[in-house]
Parts: sequence; C-alpha cells; structure tokens
Amino acid sequence: MNRESTLFLLCFVRMWWTWPNGAILWTLLVFVGHIDAVPAAEPPMAPICTAIDPWFAEEVWAKVGERVCANCHHAKGDANESRFLLDDTLRDPTALLRNYRAFADMAQKQHEGVPRLLAKATGRVKHGGGAVVKANSTEFRILTRFVERLQGREKPVVEPPSFVPGPYFAQVTPLSPQRLLRRVTLALVGRLPTLAEREAVEKAGYAAVDRILDDLMKEDAFYDRLREAFNDIFLLVGYPGLADDVLSYEHFEKSRRWYQTHDLSHIPEKDRQKARYALADLYRAALLREPYELIAYIVRQERPFTEIVTADYQMMSPYTARGYGMYEELKSHFKNPEDPFEYIPVQLKALTSRSGKTQPTQTGKYPHAGLLTTFQYLRRYPTTVTNRNRLRARMYYQHFLGVDVMTLAPRVTDATAVSKKFDIPTMQASECVVCHKIIDPVAGVFQDYFNEEGHYGPRKEGWFSDMFAPGREGEELPREQKWRALQWLGAATAQDPRFAVAMVEHVYTILMGRRPLLPPQDPDDPYFSARRRAYLEQRQAIQAIAERFAKENFNLKVVFKAWIASPFYRADGLAEVVRHPERRAELDDIGLMHLLTPEQLERKIEAIFGQRWGKMIRSGSDQRLAILYGGIDSREVTQRMTEPSGAMGAIQRMLANDVACQHVAKDFDKPAAQRRLFPEIEIDVLPDGSAENERRIRAAIVYLHALILGQEHDLNHPEVNRTYDLFVGILREAKIRKYDPREQYSCQAEPGKKTTMDPYYTIRAWRAVVTYLLRQDDFLYE
Amino acid sequence: MNRREFVRWCQSAGLGVAFPLGWQGHTLARQREPAPYEGPFFVVVNAAGGWDTTYLMDPKGVGGINRLYREGDIQTQGAIRFAPTAKHAVGGMANETFFAKYARELLVLNGLDYSVNNHDPCSRYMATGKLDSLAYPTFAALVAACKGAEYPLAFLTFGNYSSTGNLVPMARIPYLNSLHLLANADGVQGSPRHPYHDAFVLERIEKALADKHQAIQSSPRLPRTERAQNMLYAAQENSKILKRVVPFIPKTIPRERLSVQAEVALAAFKGGVAVSANLTIGQFDSHANNDAEQMKLIPELLAGIDYLLRRAEELQIREKLVVIAQSEMGRTPHYNSGQGKDHWSVGSAMFLGPNLRGNRVIGATDQKQFLIPIDAKTLRLDAKNGMRIRPEHVHAALRRYAGIEHHPFAKQFPLDIPATEQLPTLWMG
Repeated sequence: MNRESTLFLLCFVRMWWTWPNGAILWTLLVFVGHIDAVPAAEPPMAPICTAIDPWFAEEVWAKVGERVCANCHHAKGDANESRFLLDDTLRDPTALLRNYRAFADMAQKQHEGVPRLLAKATGRVKHGGGAVVKANSTEFRILTRFVERLQGREKPVVEPPSFVPGPYFAQVTPLSPQRLLRRVTLALVGRLPTLAEREAVEKAGYAAVDRILDDLMKEDAFYDRLREAFNDIFLLVGYPGLADDVLSYEHFEKSRRWYQTHDLSHIPEKDRQKARYALADLYRAALLREPYELIAYIVRQERPFTEIVTADYQMMSPYTARGYGMYEELKSHFKNPEDPFEYIPVQLKALTSRSGKTQPTQTGKYPHAGLLTTFQYLRRYPTTVTNRNRLRARMYYQHFLGVDVMTLAPRVTDATAVSKKFDIPTMQASECVVCHKIIDPVAGVFQDYFNEEGHYGPRKEGWFSDMFAPGREGEELPREQKWRALQWLGAATAQDPRFAVAMVEHVYTILMGRRPLLPPQDPDDPYFSARRRAYLEQRQAIQAIAERFAKENFNLKVVFKAWIASPFYRADGLAEVVRHPERRAELDDIGLMHLLTPEQLERKIEAIFGQRWGKMIRSGSDQRLAILYGGIDSREVTQRMTEPSGAMGAIQRMLANDVACQHVAKDFDKPAAQRRLFPEIEIDVLPDGSAENERRIRAAIVYLHALILGQEHDLNHPEVNRTYDLFVGILREAKIRKYDPREQYSCQAEPGKKTTMDPYYTIRAWRAVVTYLLRQDDFLYE
Repeated sequence: MNRREFVRWCQSAGLGVAFPLGWQGHTLARQREPAPYEGPFFVVVNAAGGWDTTYLMDPKGVGGINRLYREGDIQTQGAIRFAPTAKHAVGGMANETFFAKYARELLVLNGLDYSVNNHDPCSRYMATGKLDSLAYPTFAALVAACKGAEYPLAFLTFGNYSSTGNLVPMARIPYLNSLHLLANADGVQGSPRHPYHDAFVLERIEKALADKHQAIQSSPRLPRTERAQNMLYAAQENSKILKRVVPFIPKTIPRERLSVQAEVALAAFKGGVAVSANLTIGQFDSHANNDAEQMKLIPELLAGIDYLLRRAEELQIREKLVVIAQSEMGRTPHYNSGQGKDHWSVGSAMFLGPNLRGNRVIGATDQKQFLIPIDAKTLRLDAKNGMRIRPEHVHAALRRYAGIEHHPFAKQFPLDIPATEQLPTLWMG
C-alpha cells in the first residue's frame, strides 16, 4: 500500500466506522504534507492530501456520486461503456479511492473551457443520462467546489467538525436478557416466556436466549407468525375472486369445486347445507395458505430458503389435493387425511386442458419454481394484454431481489413526445429503455402464464417481438429452457447476491415492523451525513447477515437469530439524554418501538389474559375493527399503519376498558392458585395504613407491571408508586362517594348468571389499574 | 419549553410529531378543550388508475381519440368545454348535469404533464408534487399537519398514495358506523349511557396517564421511542373529542362508495376534528373496454363529488370546502386491440373552493392530445416559449392557496420552483 492509499484509508476509516479519534485524524491530515499523485502534464493541482480529504467522501461522493452518477456509471449500469466507472463503496470500502480518482480525472479534463465533470453532469456535452444536475443546485455547487479544490483555487480549510461522531451504538442501552426473552417469545410465538425459559436466562443471560430461539423456531406458533408476516410482504391471500378460483376451470374443471358434490350423507339433511359451506370455507382457507406453507416447510426443515424460487414441488393438504384431483393418490401420505391443514410437498403433473392438450414439458411434471409458479402468486399478480406480465416482473424484483424498479429512474421528460418519436419507445427511447430492459425480459420469462385470470396459458401468437427478449439482466432465456422458464429464472435468482440481501431485509421488516432505511435523498438536508451514516450502519449489518445467511446454506432461521442478536433489535434506551441534533438524527430509527398489529395485539392479549379480545380479529369475514386499527385486507388495503391516529387512539381506549372489564372480576372469582392477574392478592386487602397491606398491594402492582408491560420494577419504583397512587386514590374517593356494592353489570365475572359483589370497590379499582396499564406503550408497542 | 419551541426542536432533529392538545399536562388539557377546527377543509378526490380526460373536461372527438362522440358534439358550459356523456353514462352523473351545476365554480387545468406513465410514481407525484422522493407528504397530509395535526382525524384517507412525511398520523375510517363506536370508546359497546368506569375513576386513569407522560419527558429516550410515546399519548388524548362527530353521522348510510367516504369526511369536518380527506375510487385503469369502463366510472366520480358538495351545503360547510379532483395519469389518444386505452402522461385536474375563481380553463392539449405549454404569468397558451405545468407547480400553488407555503413543515419538504415558473394568478385569474 502506498502512502497515498494509507492516507486515504485514514480519512476513510474516520468516515465509515467508529470515528473515535476523528479529531486526531483531522490533525494528521494537516501534517502529512504533499504527495505528488498528479501527472505532470495536467494543470497544477492541490496536494493529494486535500483531494482525498473526508470532504470528498461526505459531499462529492455521498451527495452526488453515489446518489446521481452511480445510478448508471457502474460495471453493470447503463453507462458501463463509459470510462467514468464507479464502484459500490458499501461492498468495497477501498472503492472510495478509485471513485475519487475517477472524479478527479473527469474534473481535470476540459470541454470548451468547462471542466468535463460539470459539462457532463449538466448536459452541456453529450451525456447518455442527459442533464442530471441542475445549474445552481446543491449538487452543482458541490461539483464546482470539488473542481476548485483540485485546481487549488479554493484552499481546503481543515476545520474541526462541529460534530464528531462516536461509536454508532454508544450510549444506546440494550434490553435486559429477561426483557429480550419476553420480546422474542411474544414476537415469534405469541406467548410469554415459560418458567424454565426465564430460569435459563437468569442463569446464562443472552446466551440462553440464543438457545431458546432454536426451540421457539420449532413451535407451530412460529410458523403461524411466519405465514402472517410473509403475507404482509407478498399479499397473496388478497388474490381476487373465490379462493378456489385459483385453480383454473381449464385444467381443474372437474375437481376444483369438489365440496359441491362431496358426500355428506352422514350428516342430517337439515344440517347438510351448513356443513357444505363449512367444508368450502376450510378448503378455501387451505388453498390460501398453500404458498405460505411452502415457506413454513422450507424453514421448518431448514432447507435452503432459495427454494422459495427453486422448489420443484408445492404444498398440498388433503382438502386442496381434492381440488387438484390428486386426493386418492396422495391420501396415504397424510397422517390425517381429514385434516384440511396438514400439508405435504407434492409435484403436480403437467397441466392438461379440457381439450386434452397437455402442457409441454420434458419431465411430464409441472415445472415448479417455488412461489413463482404457485397459482396463488400468479393470480395475485395477474397480467393484461397491454401489461404483458410487467407487473409480475416488477413484483419479482421487489419480492425476491429487493429492487423497486419503479424508483430506478423515474426521469422527468416529455413522455408523450417519446411515444410520438419512437415506434417502440420501450425498446428505443432511452428514458423508457432504462427500466424496460430490466423489466421486459423477466416479463417474457413468465410468458406461459398469459391468461388474464392469472392461470397457465401461453399467448397464441407467441411472445411479443416488440419487447426485449425473454431473459434476465442481459442473459437471454435459452430456447431449450423455455418449457421451464420460471425454473430457469428461479435458479438464476438463487445465485444472485441480492436474493440473500432481500430476504434479510424481509426478516428485518418482520421483526421490526418497518422496512429498512432508504438512503437519504436530499443533499440540502442539514442532517444528510447523519442520516446517511444511519443508513450505512444498517446496510453493513444487512450485508453481513446476508453473507452469513448464504454461507449457512440459506437457512432462514440464521437470519432471525442474527437480527435478534444485533444491537438494532436489542436497542432499548439511552444511557443519557441526547441533545445534539446530528446525533439525534443518527439515532432516529434506532429501537424497535413498533405499534403492534391487530393480530399481534390479539395474540398478546391471549398470552397475558388467556383469551383473545376477539373484537379485532374475528372468525369470519368481519375484520372492520382490524382495518380501523391499521390492519390490511391484502387486496385493497395493503399497508399497515404504523402510527396511531385519533381513531386508533379511541380503539386503544376501548380495548383497555373492555379487556380489563372481561378479566378482572373473572380472575378474582377463581381460586388464587388459578389466577393469572391477581394470584397474591384478595379484594379485601385494603390500604389501611398497615405496612403489610401496602406491601401486598405494591407486590400485586409489580406483578401486573411485569405481566402486562414486561417491566422489571421493585416495590418503590416511581412507576409502581404512580400505579399505587391510582389504586389508593380511587378507593379513597370511592369511600367518600356512595357507591353500588356490585361490580358494573358488563364487567361481572359471569354477567347475567351471578352478581359479582364488590363491597370495597377494589375490583373496580384493580380494573382501573389494568385499564391504565393496557393503555401504555409497553403494552401497545413491541 | 413551550409548544412552539418543542415543534422547532423536533424539526431540528428531523422529527415529525403529532401533539396531544394537552401535552404539557392533563390538567391543562381538561381546562381548555380545544376549539373545533373551523376550516378550510380540503378534499382530494382521486380517480385511481388513470381517467380518460377526453371523456371529461378535455374533449377531442377527432382523430379516433373518442368513439362515443364527435368534435361537433362537444358541449360548453360557460368557459368550460366538456365531452357529452348523457347518452352513455351508466348510473352516476353525466357531464352535462355536472358542468351545468358546477362550471361556474370550477377551475379546470388541462395539459398537466405527469412526466412518467406508471401508476406508482405518478400517484406519488400527483399526491406530493415530488417525483423522485418517497419521503414527501401528500398535500392532504401536509395541510393537515400545518393546520391541525392535533385533531384526531386531521388527515383522513380512504386509499391511494397517502404518505404523511411523518408529520401527522393518517386515519383510515372506511365504515361510517364505526364512528359511533370510536366516539364513545369509554362506553360499553359504544354506549355513552353505560360507561365502563365511574366518571371519577376514568378521570383518575387519565390523570395518571398524563402524569406518566409528563414524567418521561425528561428521561433519556431514543428519538423513536420519544416520538412513539408522544404520538400514542396524542392519539388517545385527542381521540376523546371524536364525540363531536356523533351529531353529524347520518342515520342512513349511502350505498355509493364515494358517498360513504364523503359522509365520514364531512362528519369529521363538521365536528371540527379533521382538516383534510383523501377520497378515492379505483378501477379507472381501462386497458380493456375503455369507453364502457370510463362511462361507468366518470359518472360515478362526478356523482360522488356532487354528493360531497350537496351534503356540505346541508351541513353548512360548503363555503369552507376545497375540492381537488385528480388522477395519476390520462389515457392514450388511441385505442388498443382490446378496445382499451393505455397510460398517457398528460392529463387534467379540477379545483373548486373559496377564493378560487371558477368558470376557467387553464392549459390545453392539442388535437392529438399533446400538451401545449403556457406562459406562467398570464396563463395563456404559449407553444413556443411557455412552460409545461407539472405536479410540483400545482402543489406549490396549492400550498400558497392554503397559506402554508411558509410553514416549517412545508419548508421541510421544499418544491424549489423557480420564480419564473410560479403560477401567481392560477387561483384568482
């Protein structure tokens, strides 16, 4: 490594990692002196020391190079034939030096007296991307200044920065092992930790949590959560029509409505119709679950998660097997052929149409490619004559490679003029080509599924010739692979490093309740650098986990464990108040603090109270309250709300009132040993001034704080004091007022059956305490 | 730290926040229950999927652009030309009726350049005025944040692109009946006559929550935690004024999808708990059978707008209502093989509201449905030296119209329109 590189890396280290000695490095830069790295023929330049100072990384690279130029100027980009090629500094930290040289080189060249760097960026000279930087914009000013610094016209002022970042997670305090345990059991399997788990964590701390995770990920409840979470991403249960419409009339005409003729003679005739409806409901639910059962199967068996795009099988249950007409041949493979939700991996035969024509394959089998060929995926993202499978291509990129092609290059041009100027704009106009050359080949790979219902059915006239040929990112689909085109796509996807990254991002979304950060876009944002650092820290974690995921045979459980072990998941609070706005901006997204979804909230209520509230998630189709509480229907409402509106605030109040109402009197009505909420207290324990009663009441409060909020407080913690004051204050005031000695009718242990007496008003006071706790963020958020 | 300082401080850290009305303490909140928000009220009506403007306010009838009428059939009401649809409309309200009733108040903007023609970026662009950012709030969210983030339903949305820029929570209330339940959250099954807790108990619960919220303000917290705790407290605290909506919930629920949304929004406006609403009906994306589809949907859209305005009149808030009718794209000037029309990056929008001079058409497209530029100052067509009106121009003008262009939240999301491209006379002409 030469001197220049060493110096550069010093600058770089300061920027990218821990920054503990930022001030020292700044000083170092001042004293290193001149390094002659500029060819003699070029105009006199400033010392290289100044050229590669952190200002380049923070301003030129971060705000212009990475955001603007690198969109096209990289080895696989639109401008890959240009000499101005840039590298991804996230994947290769040393790339910053090469990028610096590329910029410096462009800045030195002139075009009609204007530095080529500026001429290209502003479109004064022919530039494939047109004018990407407006005159007088921030980006323009940065580039101009860069040129001036190189030319020595602007003396670099090495000022001590106003904010010297420290280690990224400095002062961020992690969850205690016990609280982490509660977080993961609730999040992954919807229950509270068992006594054995708590004891294990008491002994071994975080290490025990890691071991417990292995067991949690074997529980059925984990797979329920996995199905629900992946539906938030893929939204497959939202496909249109009846669930059994997913099986085409053309290929499953005789079997797909099997429930209509299923023998129910053993059921009394008067009940038969109802039973048939129930049968249909179960069958439909089983069909909706199939794609997620594939995910569950892969994860449970610890098979490579790449199988979500490569599996040469799909999942079927006894009920769905009937829909495919395969029940008789499969029934011996099921443990319980009457269980609608027991799924096994199955290979379909090549599809045969009503006219007897069989799908051309070389194996006689349907060419399964994981989710890509499931009928549910294809129906959820159907095509039209003019869309030509582009929606599917877009979703493919988003779901499996983490790329939103709609944000790739939405360029502002006269789109109507383009359509006038070109015969085939999507293949000829650069503004269109930039996306279509990515999208259209993949759309072509889906060509055998050109049926507007989402079913199998190649286009009669053959695939479109006015589109880029079927393939993927420059590689054409080989002719002999056409019959198994999606398998070919799946195999290529599994090899793509972006697949692992996308899956790591999905798991992050599942655990954190939000998507990973996007890079900051506004170069004028005063906290741009801080936000970029936050983004880069997260990116590095994603990258590292993705590499480990790939190394460990794409076992998705590894990703869950890695995120849970990371400071991103464990961050809980701050050791001291942070006031510096830059530091606050750096930490802006840190911490889980995720509003529970309606489903999660119901599970948490069940874990704590032993029974779901049942109003948010009801059996049947009435999900109105869930939608009001920010839930999704996977069809029209597809994004969960993450911040509570006033309407949601009202539902929280309603929930707290009602859940407390349902459980407090009922709990006291049970023998102490069977109680969940009040095992150590009775309704006649009153704050009578005795130390013993106060201790018992406080102990009951500590217990409730732990049970409902997961808080670990001692008897005299300020929060316990506040709850105690609430309880005592209510009793004191009730004593002054005249009150009915009966608990409110709706909140009695068994409303309508027997009256719950509340002679001391303590049941109502405890109900108020539970209501109070249920309205807090430690309950409503994860 | 007072409320204003707190806002500034949050902004300095890039934090969006919605405040409880009594965030300094519960006592204060109880002493001063907030005055109802009095308007103006902003309604954005979205024709999601891309409407065919040539069957609405930008009629052509030439060059095979329309199959249901010819150029000579085009109707005029005041200054506004529109396509005749009375013979073909399926349900809803025909253009003839709509423009006869509202042309006097309507400002029509034709030749709007969406710049791209894909649904997602276009929806985002039309809703926010910013094409290349996922962070910008929609106009409806921004105006709600600037004028009344503390109201429980400040920004109501029924779909379409609804990003809030983290300035204000979005409220989704698709069911009219739910308003009753939400408005009486402390009553068993939404009944104010059967409260869960005795009044003094409830008051003590609220006081304890307020005390707790106050106590944690000075504790070291992660910014995200801080924001979530503030928002949670605000959501619960502010939700109590939802009771104001109850008198304005209609006894009969309309059947039409836009009318239901209108009723929710109007009840919330009239109750003084909302600032803006994002109404939407979809399925305009008529790649197949364009004419049949558009003849169902455009009349449905117009009937919905008419319903909104009529009911606003009945509720006596019509004069405070600003209506923006828009879509994320137009349809091509030709039919495809499925008798449909594909995406077209030029379209139109309509506006109606106080301090807005109606009976005007700004901008135009030519006979082939290509955009004709305009002079920014005079708003006259100027094919040679004029400018293309894009969503950011409209949004900058909307911010000015709403009086929020200098609000810190608006500045947090700048549109950077050069002075020469401002449209100073857009609203009053």
